[in-house]
Amino acid sequence: MTDQTKSTTIPIHLTINGHNHELEVEPRVTLLDALRDRLDLTGTKKGCDQGQCGACTVHVDGQRVLSCLTLAAQVEGREITTIEGLAGEDGTLNAVQAAFLEQDAFQCGYCTPGQIMSAVACIREGHAGSDDEIREYMAGNLCRCGAYPHIVAAVRQAALEVAS
Amino acid sequence: MTIHDPRTRHGDASDGAMDQVGGRLSRVDGPAKMTGAAKYAVEQQLDGLTYGVLVESTIASGKVRSIDISAAEAAPGVLKVLTPDTIMSLRTASDWFGTPPPDKPYCPLARDITFSGQHVAAIIAETFEQAVAAAAMVKVSYDETPAITDLSDGKAGDGIPIDAMTKEWGDAQGAFAAAPVRICGAYNTPREYQAPMEPHGLIARWEGDKLTVWEPSQWLDGMARTYAEWFGVPFENVRLVSPYIGGGFGSKALALGHGAVAAAAAKMLGRPVRVVMTRPQTFTGYGGRAATRQTVTIGADTNGIIQSIVHRGVNETSIDGMWVEPLGVVTSIMYATPNFSSKQNVVRVNSVVPGAMRAPGENPSAFGIESAIDELSYEVGIDPLEIRLRNYAEQDPEAKKAWSTRQLREAFAAGAERFGWARRTPEPRSMRDGNQLIGWGVAAGTYPVRRAYGEAVVRILADGSVEVESSSIDMGQGTYTILAQTAAETVGVPADDVVVKLGDSRFPRAGVAGGSRLAGVMTGAVYKAATSALDQLIGLAISDPRSPFHTLQANTLVVANGRIGSPRGDGPDLSIAELLASVGRDHIEATGDTMPANSTAEDRYKNYTTIATSVPHTEGDYSRHSWCAHFIEVRVDEDFGTVRVSRVVSALDSGRLYNPKLAESQWKGGIIMGIGQALLEEGIVDRRHGRIVNNNLGDYLVPTNADIPDIDVISVGIPDLHSSVLGGKGVGELAIVGVAPAIANAVFHATGKRIRDLPITLEKLI
Repeated sequence: MTDQTKSTTIPIHLTINGHNHELEVEPRVTLLDALRDRLDLTGTKKGCDQGQCGACTVHVDGQRVLSCLTLAAQVEGREITTIEGLAGEDGTLNAVQAAFLEQDAFQCGYCTPGQIMSAVACIREGHAGSDDEIREYMAGNLCRCGAYPHIVAAVRQAALEVAS
Repeated sequence: MTIHDPRTRHGDASDGAMDQVGGRLSRVDGPAKMTGAAKYAVEQQLDGLTYGVLVESTIASGKVRSIDISAAEAAPGVLKVLTPDTIMSLRTASDWFGTPPPDKPYCPLARDITFSGQHVAAIIAETFEQAVAAAAMVKVSYDETPAITDLSDGKAGDGIPIDAMTKEWGDAQGAFAAAPVRICGAYNTPREYQAPMEPHGLIARWEGDKLTVWEPSQWLDGMARTYAEWFGVPFENVRLVSPYIGGGFGSKALALGHGAVAAAAAKMLGRPVRVVMTRPQTFTGYGGRAATRQTVTIGADTNGIIQSIVHRGVNETSIDGMWVEPLGVVTSIMYATPNFSSKQNVVRVNSVVPGAMRAPGENPSAFGIESAIDELSYEVGIDPLEIRLRNYAEQDPEAKKAWSTRQLREAFAAGAERFGWARRTPEPRSMRDGNQLIGWGVAAGTYPVRRAYGEAVVRILADGSVEVESSSIDMGQGTYTILAQTAAETVGVPADDVVVKLGDSRFPRAGVAGGSRLAGVMTGAVYKAATSALDQLIGLAISDPRSPFHTLQANTLVVANGRIGSPRGDGPDLSIAELLASVGRDHIEATGDTMPANSTAEDRYKNYTTIATSVPHTEGDYSRHSWCAHFIEVRVDEDFGTVRVSRVVSALDSGRLYNPKLAESQWKGGIIMGIGQALLEEGIVDRRHGRIVNNNLGDYLVPTNADIPDIDVISVGIPDLHSSVLGGKGVGELAIVGVAPAIANAVFHATGKRIRDLPITLEKLI
């Protein structure tokens, strides 16, 4: 059995939330599964594993990407940010996180990390100029609890705070 | 599971009222969910964890002829390949009523196939990727037989009459025949899916004959019972852990086949096993809302006063399971009628057994009656809101009992006012904005107050903080938060000083978080436990010779904001921590439950592990329901038939709200799911193979942010002490009821086309 229990693995080096991680994984391992199953960074959620729900959204070099459609090996040497990397060292929530909490922009919380990562990028991209624009540029993140109106309110509030 | 971080607390009131029941306290589990720190069930990192992947049938009817596992067994990392022949034997478990099961083995992997997507094999491997790869190597061959794919299948037949669903009074047929105005409509709803964002899954670990299951669950004790019965171990040997649940909507209340596979694999391997359904598997691994068909006929006089309602309904169920979606439940109570008849059949099709999805029964039932009364309003030329008021049921027409509270008239008034209903022009196609036809529709909704019993422990700790424990759960309703508020208000401490622990079956028990009952049940239990803990605290302060209050000879004391003093303000003033230190106690503990006095241990077990003991909503002198009225504007593109919901105003009566901020969120969520039901959601069956074609979130369309306008909700409820200890009624399911008919009614007003078949898609309008 022993020689069969090993698949071909490769060493990869990931920079996540400013920390370096060395991993020995198969080339087919997604960034999402590397985060959740290998690095105990379970804040990034698996909702569909096929790029349809947005729950797995992380930032790679500041851009929002779906980590379920990204191989871990693809993002070697890039700056990866996950939900765990947003708050300050002392636990202070960033503007988007604080706005989500205040506006009750979540219920079950499972889509929330992806929503927040998308919202941070949405604001940075300059796509939070109006409620309609926010709705459009946040439409890739599904929320089955139906927190959408509150998500729009939170993004609007955070965008104003970031701008001021 | 510590869920408090005062630095991140936000709210809408600057005084202590926010901490009380009824205050708009932000979610206490919020910071953990904002930062990714909240660990959901399958995110536990366990030593030696292995990964399971399910293999499912690709036919809908027939038998497994053979399963070739040779390639899969030889694949890298594979530890076990489970088939019907190799999985350990389990025992059949009782159903959720606690009905004793037949004495026969249960195999969660099927040889006899009754639906496409049935579990037939499973791979357990060292890594998830290895399990996925090996699962693709399993070759299953079948002897296929013709399947009944859905309700429209010619082989489906009329089904089985469900006599328990029959409701009749007066002479409905005779009164209908004699009525001067008669309308009749056939209303259909398709298969719909709960589609919670967190897929179903679990980690199972055995230690000897003790099983721990980390699994998202709406009902820890009920699921623990099922696992215990499957494996023939005592109930106490099974521990369910479910600290956070990524949405359920009815789908996470029962232990399911994939759970049996995972737990069996863990036992056979002697290692913990994680099995998580793929998103496509969530469309067949458990049942969504059954497809339904209804006919509603109404006989009325020329003033629109209803003389008779005749209702017939059908829902689909599976070949070997029984699901009844009660279709006459709103039909029979929404409007006063002297004559009524409702009957229902179920039809067996080759599907997974359907299940509970947000307001099972009430939701499709309301689509029928609330569309039909709208049709009647146009038939007699009376405003759709006015006709609802003319037929207002002053008491429960079916139970012939007074409503406990029914603020539906107030809901109609408040909603109409906010929406501007008086500006509506009655003619279809009479309101437009360029090439957009505008329609305004109204519909009512209702949900019964389901009641049950719960228990909780409240501890006052040495540092003056308060701890609450219960095996109830929070899947987004706000249980953590409202129980913190209940304990804070009752004991007299800030909510920041309360830690609520939920989601572990070792805690004091709770029944199912379903039927919108949990908040009413658990606030009652926590209130009782906290009251008892407070009594102990005050008793100690008064009677213990070491207490500074001992010499005061007071009859009672007051606890507020974590401090204890005399009601008149004279004498000592101590923090709870100082008092406990003075009497040498490190904590006070009280258990509270809402069970009837003299309940036996057996009563309690039955209460928490079955639904057999829930209290009828018409028990005693009253009929108890939540109510709502939805006012919805749609814009329909005249050329393309695309429908957009542009405005929603809903007024809702859920009694007293324990936390309006969170209740409003749940209401809006229900309304949004209702928009999806009305315009988007439909499980499409491939007639050739009986498969769900759109078994993923790209093709089974749930609403996105871009589909949803601002939603205005208004609370018109008043405390209803017939419904719960603290006066609340139901919140979670109410708001979806009536949304789809309000949209269908608005679409009729916009276009003049009556769509009786959900969802309302463009090809039905052009």
